[in-house]
Amino acid sequence: MSGTIWQVLTFSAIFVFLVIAVYRVFTIIRMPVHLRWELAPIPHEKEKNRYGGSYLEEYEWWRTPRRRSHIAPIIYMLREIFLMRGVWKNNRPLWPFSVLLHFGVYLFVITVLLNMAYALTIMAGVPAAALDIFQDITTALALAGYLTGALGAISLILKRRLDSNYRPFTTPTMYLKLGLLAAMFISGILAWSTIPVYASATGGFAKDLLTLDGGIRAAPALAAHIIISLLFIVYLPFTDMLHFITKYFTYHAVRWNDKPVDKKMNEQLRALLDKPAGWAAPHAGQGKSWAETVAGKKDDAEKT
Amino acid sequence: MPKRLNLTDISKTGEGQLTEPDVNELMPLPPPYDKFKEPGFKILTEDQRERLVSNLDGIVALALPKPKSKEEEKKYIEQFVSGLKKLLSREDNWTFLQPLLLSLDYCARCQTCSEACHIYLASGRNDLYRPTFRSEIFRRLVNRYARHKGSRFGGNDIELNWETVSRLYELAYRCNLCRRCAQACPMSIDNALITREIRKLFSQELGWAPRELHEKGTALQLEVGSPTGLRPDVVRDNVQFLDEEFSESTGIKITTPWDRKGADILVIHSAGDILSFPESVIAFTILCNAAGLSWTLSSEAPGYEGVNYGLFYDDIQLARIATRHAQIAQKLGVNKIVMGECGHEHKALMTVADRLLTGDLNIPRESAMTFLEEIVFSGKIKFDPAKNNFSVTLHDPCNIVRNLGIVEPQRRILRYLCPEFREMTPHGVDNYCCGGGGGLSVMNNVNFTDWKVLIAGRMKFKQVLEAFADRPGPEVKKYICAPCLNCKLQFREILEHYGAKEKSGIIVGGLAELIVNAMVDIKKPFIKWES
Repeated sequence: MSGTIWQVLTFSAIFVFLVIAVYRVFTIIRMPVHLRWELAPIPHEKEKNRYGGSYLEEYEWWRTPRRRSHIAPIIYMLREIFLMRGVWKNNRPLWPFSVLLHFGVYLFVITVLLNMAYALTIMAGVPAAALDIFQDITTALALAGYLTGALGAISLILKRRLDSNYRPFTTPTMYLKLGLLAAMFISGILAWSTIPVYASATGGFAKDLLTLDGGIRAAPALAAHIIISLLFIVYLPFTDMLHFITKYFTYHAVRWNDKPVDKKMNEQLRALLDKPAGWAAPHAGQGKSWAETVAGKKDDAEKT
Repeated sequence: MPKRLNLTDISKTGEGQLTEPDVNELMPLPPPYDKFKEPGFKILTEDQRERLVSNLDGIVALALPKPKSKEEEKKYIEQFVSGLKKLLSREDNWTFLQPLLLSLDYCARCQTCSEACHIYLASGRNDLYRPTFRSEIFRRLVNRYARHKGSRFGGNDIELNWETVSRLYELAYRCNLCRRCAQACPMSIDNALITREIRKLFSQELGWAPRELHEKGTALQLEVGSPTGLRPDVVRDNVQFLDEEFSESTGIKITTPWDRKGADILVIHSAGDILSFPESVIAFTILCNAAGLSWTLSSEAPGYEGVNYGLFYDDIQLARIATRHAQIAQKLGVNKIVMGECGHEHKALMTVADRLLTGDLNIPRESAMTFLEEIVFSGKIKFDPAKNNFSVTLHDPCNIVRNLGIVEPQRRILRYLCPEFREMTPHGVDNYCCGGGGGLSVMNNVNFTDWKVLIAGRMKFKQVLEAFADRPGPEVKKYICAPCLNCKLQFREILEHYGAKEKSGIIVGGLAELIVNAMVDIKKPFIKWES
């Protein structure tokens, strides 16, 4: 396969990814303010975060200035993302498999970025020969990513299939996701094994992609790897794998959201309280607004 | 009965139950309770099986009557679907829409939460009690029947029939809502929240809720003032009687103030403490008076009852009660409300209701833990820690500690006043629930108490025994400090079941009692070991 079809396929895949991901994130952001539902430990609690304490530990907390750490939540998240802290702490038998898969993905993303960086450097006029070490590193990282990712994906497929703790909860879609990931990594290994200077081929492909070169081409094994990777990129935002973005909301918008009511939120809440609550149970004040229901006619409250 | 289940088992037709907890498979307890001859779970009578839905695990918490006809079953199924849709609606469920959808859509099914759940572990790893079992069934029902994503490829294969609806209702009350699973989840998926949303659907759409939580709970509280049935005049009489009784036993004059307009502080106890743990209420009075505080109780219903069972199953009832509490404080003109020793009162009024009490109703609300710490370290009262010459361990109520992050104030008090204080493992925000959380401590229908004690409370009892393992015999006095009424009620049932007071010398009480027990001015021991 050669020619501009590569640009069309690649940029279309990225476009679909971005549109769906942005749409889903936007849907989350636009949801109404909810009741507080925080959960300790909250890392932005300066010093108290050592043991999970919160500002509510202060006598007359409303008179005490809140001391927030901006670094601690980032460190917490980095440990969660790169060390899989939660799984290590609470589900250690799963940890090696999870780490392998996630490191495969991280290294894959890093090598894509390195290939882009290589392309931009070449486009800036730097001779390719000056980037040999850069290319060696890219190749090594790519191979490491393919190997760890393939091991992680295959072992997770087996674990989900063979372990009765996982099998009932695993849907065909989940096998598809893991299968697609495994195919992406295995095709990468095959491409590496058939192309003598691997990073030159992938970096060259990236340069042709960015320069919209009509002569762009890829060897069959690399072409298969790229197509599978593009399929994965298109599929990803439709699935729960988007958790690498939405995790921000599960943590910041819910678990660590201890924001007191301010003027803006007060207005939002008043608007929500004025909306009708349509629940049908006898005590639920059918048709009345939340505010009316809660302010409470005694007869409503007494209905059972 | 199998303990390995498939998710689709929930919709198995017929009256057969899915599983049955087996006492021989439960998590072992430390000596001497490893030899305890467990009487097991009460078997339902023929009459109960005839009348009540009992198709889950042979345990009946809710006493749901069987429907009389297929039409009635169909009506409930339709109502359930209607409720599913309302849970996804911005108007009907703005209160928890975002947390719910995030938890429904981004679970990786990694089962990390199961390893954190005391109920699942204590049951001997019965699949029915996994946090994910209930949530995954609900997720698939939402996808298929509310979002119309019917693909079996996506796993949306659960049939919605009467059996599914009735089993899911009962299953929603096999969780303490302690949120240890959410804390363990790498994605921060909250299975306890999903469980509460299921309960809410049943309550707000079908009008189904445990009698103890709704009819004899929030509805009674809004009607007469308290789920205990205590009316304002009776509650005042009771506390006045306690004032007199404890004045006599302690040798100091005790007077609890009522309805003092313009007082600085409104204290809202759980009225259940007045009946079940009266020394807790009186200890507060002694401490507030000794510290010279301007404070009051309210006798306006429900201002003398801090519980808010709405937190466990119903947003509307939750909001009603929290609003009434704030209105009463506003009427008295107090500067702050202080929670009694009640975990879910803390969570309901201090944080969850924070976004319901808009404008003038947003009166500052303080924890009993920080309030007592301030009194203890104010220097206004003299203490002799040697008076607390017994072993003490601290139970962390989930709603105060894991949910609100109030961890250290109570510990600073205990380290100061209790020389033999020792921690459980794990403790603090990593604690295990007592097994009575999520409203379960007040639910005692049919044979549910057996389940609560043998399974839900098992991990906590094990922790308590391990904390006192160096001095196991009954000759050494041991005190579980549980600053929460519901936790104390659950502990009381566990200790009674195992005879732990007689065998191990263990009793349970609150924090304020320990503080008063160490007061120099209280000549006789305030904590009674004989009663």
